[in-house]
Formats: sequence, structure tokens, C-alpha cells
Amino acid sequence: MEATIEVRGLHKRFGPTVAVDDLSFTVPPGQVTGFVGPNGAGKSTTMRAIVGLDRPDRGTALVGGRPYRDLRAPLREIGVMLDASAIHPGRRARNHLLWMARANGLPASRVDEVIELVGLGSAAHRPAGGYSLGMCQRLGIAAALLGDPPVLMLDEPVNGLDPEGIRWIRGLLRSLAAEGRAVLVSSHLMSELEGSADHLLVIGRGRLVADTGVRELLASASGDRVELRTDQRREAMAVLTAAGATVAVTDAETLVVAELTAARIVELLTGSGVAFSGIAEHRATLEEAYMELTRDAVEFRALAGEAS
Amino acid sequence: MTTTAYRSRVETTGAGFGGLVRAELTKLVTVPRWLLTLAAAVLLSVLVAGLAALGAGQDNSGGDGGGPPVAHNPLEPFQDRGHFVHRELTGDGDLIVRVDSQEGGGWAKAGLMIRAAEEPGADYAAVMVTPEHGVRFKSGTGTDLAGSSAASPTWLRLTLTGTTVTALESPDGINWTGVGTVELPGLPAKTLAGLFVAVPDEVVVTRQFGTESISGNTVETTAVFGSLAFTGDLAPEWGEREHPTGPAVTDDRTGYTVSGTAVTVTGTGDLGPDMFSPDATRMTLTSVLIGLCAVISLAVLFITAEYRRGMIRTSFLVSPARGRVLLAKAIVIGGAGFAAGLLAALGSFALASAGGVVPPLPDLFAWPVLRALIGTGVMVAAAAILALAVGSLIRHSAVAIALVLLALLVPQVAASGLPLSAANWVERLTPAAGFAVQQTVARYDVAIGPEAGLAVLCAYAAAAMAFALWRQKRRDA
Repeated sequence: MEATIEVRGLHKRFGPTVAVDDLSFTVPPGQVTGFVGPNGAGKSTTMRAIVGLDRPDRGTALVGGRPYRDLRAPLREIGVMLDASAIHPGRRARNHLLWMARANGLPASRVDEVIELVGLGSAAHRPAGGYSLGMCQRLGIAAALLGDPPVLMLDEPVNGLDPEGIRWIRGLLRSLAAEGRAVLVSSHLMSELEGSADHLLVIGRGRLVADTGVRELLASASGDRVELRTDQRREAMAVLTAAGATVAVTDAETLVVAELTAARIVELLTGSGVAFSGIAEHRATLEEAYMELTRDAVEFRALAGEAS
Repeated sequence: MTTTAYRSRVETTGAGFGGLVRAELTKLVTVPRWLLTLAAAVLLSVLVAGLAALGAGQDNSGGDGGGPPVAHNPLEPFQDRGHFVHRELTGDGDLIVRVDSQEGGGWAKAGLMIRAAEEPGADYAAVMVTPEHGVRFKSGTGTDLAGSSAASPTWLRLTLTGTTVTALESPDGINWTGVGTVELPGLPAKTLAGLFVAVPDEVVVTRQFGTESISGNTVETTAVFGSLAFTGDLAPEWGEREHPTGPAVTDDRTGYTVSGTAVTVTGTGDLGPDMFSPDATRMTLTSVLIGLCAVISLAVLFITAEYRRGMIRTSFLVSPARGRVLLAKAIVIGGAGFAAGLLAALGSFALASAGGVVPPLPDLFAWPVLRALIGTGVMVAAAAILALAVGSLIRHSAVAIALVLLALLVPQVAASGLPLSAANWVERLTPAAGFAVQQTVARYDVAIGPEAGLAVLCAYAAAAMAFALWRQKRRDA
């Protein structure tokens, strides 16, 4: 069985609130899959259901083809980081990893390996109570890697890391995926996933909004728009809107033009004698693409919040 | 895109229940504060027992009202008292007497006795009649056989053949019925044979919260014996052994008069188990209560700390079978509790023995003492498991600790302020019944046997665990 996470028709409600609503997806191996959605979209509930911490009302979640509860040594099947600060403050970091290793019959030598791998080294012999958020995140990742699992599921791993740490974790996630592992990483900020995720699962109000490759998403969000740089902004806008284009101002010298091709824009501007310093196909950021995707979900949420 | 499925390169050995127990043990010993708590539980218990022994040694130096020690075995306190009027008997003998009348209350005793010597605790055998409890045959501290329900006047007979003493009774002095036979191998060639009377002291027990005071009022009994017929090699002169009286008794009316075959004997003191003797072992082991409180707090924290920090989710991630996590925790905290309880009990007992407490402690290797010491370990273990289960159910440290401490300690305190019958039921039905395992002496206020009491506590722990396991499966972590 291929090492993946499969979620089918997952449904979970807490009292009157539906947290996850008929959610289905598969996390493919060999890729970093971003699991994105606004706060409260149901990411954490889904992840907790995958590892059996929450009991879904309907639907199934499988890890490597089996329900989590059936795994004998789960650390060898899936590495999970849900809440990195959930450590007893009086226990040394190394001992925290040690009891986990013992529970799954993993050798103690593996504990020292993952400590080196996440760069905790000397800090591993200090009580975890004195750890910064960033160090807790590293310890949580070490715990996830303890069993050298083919599947990884990390909830907001970038949270609390400094820029150096963010660069480090991006590299780590990419290299783990390159080894053939399935890596699921959640975030409420799309920008955090830029440059690391290959695939995206976008979730809003407990429903899957998009299940798409990062490249395809960017292409569709960029659309056929053209980015124009000019210091004669007003004139350019007049000419282009007259020709039927939709024009958006992004800063003092930049316009984003839709409904017209780049060639037609050049033709129109040169014809009207409007000078421009640059023209290029518009490249959307992941953030923009995400905002577009989740706008409906977020708006609905705001309305629902007012109504209740 | 083709990718080869990744496989873990880390080998696993023993991911079963043993691994879980090792994991929970690792958790317990890697929080320095918890280890300190365990060590303090043992040390404080022993220390307090030592201090108590020191204090007891000074306060009780007066002893038991000036009288000689009555109990030869502290684990089976026995009053070998009463008034004994005797003649020296060499070899076999046959004693017959009719008890014509007796007074002194329902448990007054009048009858025949053969004993090795006058000293309390010497071998003896006696047949007696009581006003309300029929004919009885007693020997040593353990033999107490009931005969018919006859009261005076009635005939009693005691025969000595070799070292065998046989007791008989008869309504008419003609037709004899056996009451009992006892073998006394230690009986010397010259024994003391004669008449005795005995009667329990009137004991007034005043119980207040946490304390009890026992005062005894001496009761007199008088019996009139007739048709005295002793056969055998008997010395002609009569001797007398009386129950020693304290300095408070001024008008001593005890004694005997012989006129022909009729004898009147008046005396005080009882022949029978002493239900009011202190249980020195249990008193010494009271100090383990301190360690018990510490272990209970630790056992609750062992699970609630995980809930408070969200670490319980990590535990359930590592072992998806939640019941096994709780069971592994129970084994580890139960083991730690047993070790701490046993060490605290052993240490307290050893220190108190060395400190020379009054009354003296019995031998460590006597079964009731061993049972109390090992039982204390089991009691602490059961209390720890109960605390773990309550912690798992309530998930709030302070509330869970308070609840378990109340369940264990309130019955103890409340019982000492309740009437004895109510107190007994409280001590039988609450988890506090577990403290009964520390009993080494049968006393008037024993509510439940040591093993049964421990079983009650264990049943509470098991029920709480079962409920916690059942609830845990149905809740989100």
C-alpha cells in the first residue's frame, strides 16, 4: 500500500457547529502538500481526525491504507506534530523523545539522531520548560521524525520560527518529500507555503475549496492579466478602459490590466502616445490566488457571524 | 510522476504493552520533581514515625497501672487474670465441682482450672460456667469452646491424664457430657489445680474526633462452689493467685473461704482476649498517611499534567489504543506506590522498633506484621491507582487530589467522632477500609478484617479504573 493520507467523506460537528463537512482528499507521496485555510476552517479538526484524536461523525481517514487506531507502531507510519508546546516543562527534551521511542520500541540511538537532525544538540539536555517557541517547534519536528515515517503531518510548523528557521524547515520539508514521503503541512498563511508546497488543499468552512497543484493555481489566478509600468498612469487608464479593459492600480507606477492582450495594449498605448517603461504578464503571488479562492468562504463566514 | 514508496528505516522491537509500560516509567522518572515527591513520601513517613516513637517512649514510661505485663504476645493480647484458688497436683487428677451460684454480670466466669504455674501466660486449661453465655472451655489464647447453655447451678469436671486435659459438664453430677479436650505438652509434673472466678472490667470508651480514651472500672464477681471432689496426688494446703490491683483499690474484698466441700471465691480480672489493648504496629504505621497523601497527589498529576499541557494527545498518538495508555500508567504508578508504601512502612517500623516504643512492637516476621507492612504497600498502590483513575475522569489536578484525599481521610476522622456502630459501617464501606490492612491485633473497634478491608479499597480502585477506561474511549482527547 502506498504511503499516503486518505480522507473520505469526513464529517465532524461540535455541538451545533459543523467543523468539517464532507471532506475528501488524498495526500500524494513525494510532494509537499499545503493544507491551507483561514483560522477555524477545520484544518486542525481534520488532522486530529486523521490520527484518531477526534472521532468523526461520518467518513473515514486512512494512513497508509489503515485507520490510525490499527497502527501498531504509529511513529514508524506517520510523523505528527499538532501542538509543539505540549511538553511537560520539567522534563528534558531528550527524555521527552525517549519515552515516545520506548512506547513504539524504537532504539534510543534514534533519539540522538533526530536531535542532531533538527539542530537541538546541546539544548536537548535542558528542561523543555525553558524552550522558546522556535525550539519547541524543532522538538516537535524531531518527535515527528522519530520513527523515520513515510508520511508526515505538521500543523503550522513555521509558526514561531525565525527567518533562518523558516528557511531551514522549507529545505527540510522539500528534502523529506524528495525521498518519496508524503508531507502534509497546514498553515493559515499562504505566504508561508510559498516556495515549499507543490500541491495545495484549500479549505474553508470545513469544505474543500480547491485541490490543486501550486503551478496550476498560480497560472489560473494570474489569468490573462498584464502588468504595465508607466508614469503616465491617468492617460494610460483612460486609453485602456476606453478600449474595454479592466484596469487595477497596484501602486503609483503599476497597473494591472485585464481583458486585453499585451500586444493590443502596446498597440493602443503607442497609438495614443502614452509612454510606458515596462510591460509583462502579471504573475500572481500565492497569497493573491488564495485570497481569491477563499473570499467567498470568508465573506459567508462574516455574514453568518453577524446573523447569529 | 513516479515515486517509490518510502519505508521507515528505523527498526522497532517490542512496540507492545511492555514498551508502553517502559514509556510510562520513563515519563515518571524523567520529571525530577516527581522523583523528589516519591523520595519525600518515604522519608517524611519514616521521620514522623521516628519522632512519634521518641515521644511515645517518654509519655508512656509509666506503663500499665503498675501491674505486670499481661499479654505475652503483643499480637494476641490476652488477659490471663482472675482469682485462682489452687492446690498443687502431682501427676494425673480428676476435679469435680458444682457451681451453686455466681454474680458479676453476663460474662462472669466460675469453674475449674489446671495450670502450669501462677504466672500470666503459663499453660492452662479451664472449664467454666457463665450466667448468660453457657459453659465454656478455654486454653491458651486461642482455644475457646462452647458447651451447653446451662447456667449455675451446674456440675463441672476437669481431668488431667498425662498432658491431656478433658472438660466435662453435667446437670446432675451423674451424666457427664464432654465440652472439650486439649493437649498441653509443656505441662510439668507438678501442676496447680483448683477453682477460679473471673469477670471482665467495665470498660468505658470515650471517642472524640481523632482521639479515644479507655477507662476501666474493676468489677467484682463472687461464686459459691459446692460438692468439691478433687482426686489425685494433691497437696493439702490451698494457695491463691489474685489479679493484682492498682494502688487505687483500697478495700480489697477479694479472697476465698473454705468450709467443708463448699468454697466461696471473690475476685476481679478476666480470662479472655483483651479487646482494648493498643495496636502498636498500626499506630506506628499511621505515619505512612503522610507518604500516602504525597503519592496520591503524584498519581493524579501523572495524568492531569498530560491533560493540562495537551501532552495526552502525544500519548494517544504514540499509542492509539487509549485504554492501554491508562493501564500502563496504572501499572507504573501502582508499582511506584507499592515501593514507596512498603519502604515507608518498613522504615517506620524499623525506626520505631529501634527507638523502643511502649508498648513494644512485635516481631517483624510475625505474619500479621508482615501482612501490615506489605499490605501498606498494596494499600498505597491501590490508592495511587484510584487517584490516577479519578484524575483521568476529572482531568483537573486540584479537584481530583481533594476528592481522593477526602474519600480516604474523611471516613477516618469522621469515624472517630461517630458512635461505634456507625463508625464501623463507615470504615467498612468507604475506600478508607483499606487502612484495616494495618491492623495486627483484634480490637473492640475493628470494623473489617485486614484482607477484606484492603479488598474494599482495591475494589474501589478497580471500579474507578473501569469507569475511567470506559469514559476515555468515548471522549475526544
